[in-house]
Amino acid sequence: MDFSVVLQFLISGVNLGCIYAALGLGFFIVYGVTRVLNLAQGEFVMLGGMLTVSFYAMGISLLPSILLAMIITALAGAVLYRFIIYPARNSSGVTQALLTVGFAFAIEGIALLVWGWEYQSLPNFLDSPNIQFWGATIFGQTPWVVGSTFFMVIGLFLFFGRTIQGKALRACADERLGAKTVGISTERMALFSFILAAILGAVVGAVITPLTMTSYSIGFPLTIKGLLAAFVGGITRVEGVILGGIALGMVEAITAGLMPSGYYGVIALGILIIVFLCRPRGLLSARGKV
Amino acid sequence: MSKILLSGHLQYFGVALFAIVLLILPLLAGPYPIAVLVDIGFYSIVTMGLIILMGFAGQISLGQAVFFGLGAYVSGILTTQYHLSPWLALVLAAIATGGIAAIIGRAMLRLRELIVAGVTLALNLVFYYLVTSLVDLTGGASGMTNIPRLSLDGFIPEYTLLNYYLVWIIAFLLLIFSLNLVNSRVGRALRSMNQLAGGSEETAQALGVNIMKYKVQVFALSAIYASIAGSIYAYYIGCIEPDTFGVQLSVRVVIMAIIGGMTSPWGAFLGAGSIVGLTELLREFMPVLIAGPTGAYELIAYGIILVMALLFLPQGLISICHRLVPQGGH
Repeated sequence: MDFSVVLQFLISGVNLGCIYAALGLGFFIVYGVTRVLNLAQGEFVMLGGMLTVSFYAMGISLLPSILLAMIITALAGAVLYRFIIYPARNSSGVTQALLTVGFAFAIEGIALLVWGWEYQSLPNFLDSPNIQFWGATIFGQTPWVVGSTFFMVIGLFLFFGRTIQGKALRACADERLGAKTVGISTERMALFSFILAAILGAVVGAVITPLTMTSYSIGFPLTIKGLLAAFVGGITRVEGVILGGIALGMVEAITAGLMPSGYYGVIALGILIIVFLCRPRGLLSARGKV
Repeated sequence: MSKILLSGHLQYFGVALFAIVLLILPLLAGPYPIAVLVDIGFYSIVTMGLIILMGFAGQISLGQAVFFGLGAYVSGILTTQYHLSPWLALVLAAIATGGIAAIIGRAMLRLRELIVAGVTLALNLVFYYLVTSLVDLTGGASGMTNIPRLSLDGFIPEYTLLNYYLVWIIAFLLLIFSLNLVNSRVGRALRSMNQLAGGSEETAQALGVNIMKYKVQVFALSAIYASIAGSIYAYYIGCIEPDTFGVQLSVRVVIMAIIGGMTSPWGAFLGAGSIVGLTELLREFMPVLIAGPTGAYELIAYGIILVMALLFLPQGLISICHRLVPQGGH
C-alpha cells in the first residue's frame, strides 16, 4: 500500500479519534463524580455547534460566539442537574440515565423548533487552508480539532491535579461519603461536573462544525460514539477515555478506507462493542466492579 | 386464599371483558380511530415484551426498535426476494430475531444494568448503519417497498379493519401467554432475582435459580414480541425505511412501559394507549396553536413525559388501577 494512503488513514484516524476522545471526556467527568451515565452529552455538543452558528450569523465574531454558546450550554447542563437529576439523586443508575434521555429528547425537540431541519456550517477557524503533506491532505480545521482536544486534556489534568476545586471533584469520584465527611459539598460538585461537561461539549460542537456540519439531530449518534469510546477505554480514567476515543477513530478511519462505502459504521461500532464485551472493564480500567 | 381466588377470577373477568371490548370497538369507531387502534396494537405488543424484561426480569433495553426493525426487515426480505408466505416469514423472522437477541444477551447481560443500557442504545446505531449499507437487501436509506399484505382470503374486506383484528388477536394471545408466564415457575424465578420485586440476584442464585439463563431467555422473548409486531407492521404499511426504527422508537416504548407500569403485562395497553393517544392529539392540535416543524412537539412532549413519569409516577398508571381493584396473588 502507498505510504500517502497509510498517512491519510492515520491523519483521519487522529482527527476522528480526537473528536471521540473529547466527547468521551464529558462522560468521564459526569460519571466519575456522580455515577450518572449522561446520555444527553451529545446534545451539549449539538447545542454548542448550533448556538455558535447562530451567533456567528448575527454578525458576532467567532470567539465571542463560541463563548456565548459555552455559557448557554453550561446553563443547560445546570438545568439538567438541578431540576432533573438532583430530585432523583437517590434513584437507581438506570432511572437517572433514562432521565437524561428525557432531557435529550426535549432539547432535540426545542432545537428542531428553533433551527429547523437544515444542516448548518461554519467556515474553518481563521480560514485555515487545507495542507498537503507527503501526498496526504490535512483539512484546515483538523489542527483546531486536535489542538482543542489536546488543550482540554492538559487543562483537565492541571485542573484535577493542581486546583483545590479539581481535587474536591476527584475526592467525590473516589469516595463520596469520605468527601462529604471532610466537608466537600457533593451536591455542588455534582452540579459543577454537569456544567463542566456541558462546556466541554459546547467547545467540541463549535470546533467540529466546520468539519462535519451540525443539525438538531447530531446529538444522539455523538452520544453513542463518545459513550463507546469511554466504555472501551475505561470510563473511570482520563487516559482510558483518550485511548478509547483514538481507538474508535482509527478503526473507523481504516475501515472507511478499506471497505465499500457505508459498511465502516457497522464494522467500527461492531468491533468496539465486541472488544468492550470481551474486556468490560475497559482496556485501561483499574479497580471496581463493572 | 379467598383473596387469591378473587384475584384469579378478576383476572379471567378482565381478560374476557377485554376480548369483548376489542371485538365491539371497531363497530363503534370510524376509520381514523381504527387506524390509531392498530398503531396502539403494535406498540402494545412491543411494550408487553419490554415490561416482562424490565418489570419482571429487572433488566433494561434501550434497543427494542432494533428487534422491531429486524422483524420488519427479515419478513420484508423473505417475502419480496424469496417469495415465502408472509406467515412463514413472520415465524422465521421471530426465530432469527430471538436467536440474535440470545447471542447478544448472553454476552451482555452479565454486565451491570447501566452498561446494558449503553450497549443496547448503541445497537440502534449499529442497526441503522447496517440497514443503510446493505442496499441490495434492504433498499438502503430510501427503504424497501412492495412488501406483500397479509391476507385471510377475503375474510374481512376492509384493509384497516383486517389489520385491526390481526394485530389485536396477536396482542390478546400474547397477553394471555404473558399473564400465564408471570404467574408460572418462570415468573416466580424472575421475581426472586428482581430487586424491584423485593428479590436479589445473589439470593436467587444461592437458591439454585440459574439467573443468567432466565435473563437471556427473557431478553430473547422480549425481542420475539418486538419482531412479531415488526413483521405485521411491515405487511400492514407495505414499505419500510430505516428512519422508522431509530432510537426514538426504542425510547418511546420504554416511555410506554414506564407510563403504563411494569408490574403487570396489562400496563402495556395503558402505556401504549395513552402515549399514542397523546401523540395523535399533539399532531392534530399543536400545529393549530403554534406553527412549527412536525415532530418537534412530539420530541419535547416525550422528553417531558419521560422525566415527569420517572420523577412523579414511577409505578405507572397500572398502580392507580391496583389501588382501585382489590389485589391478591403475588
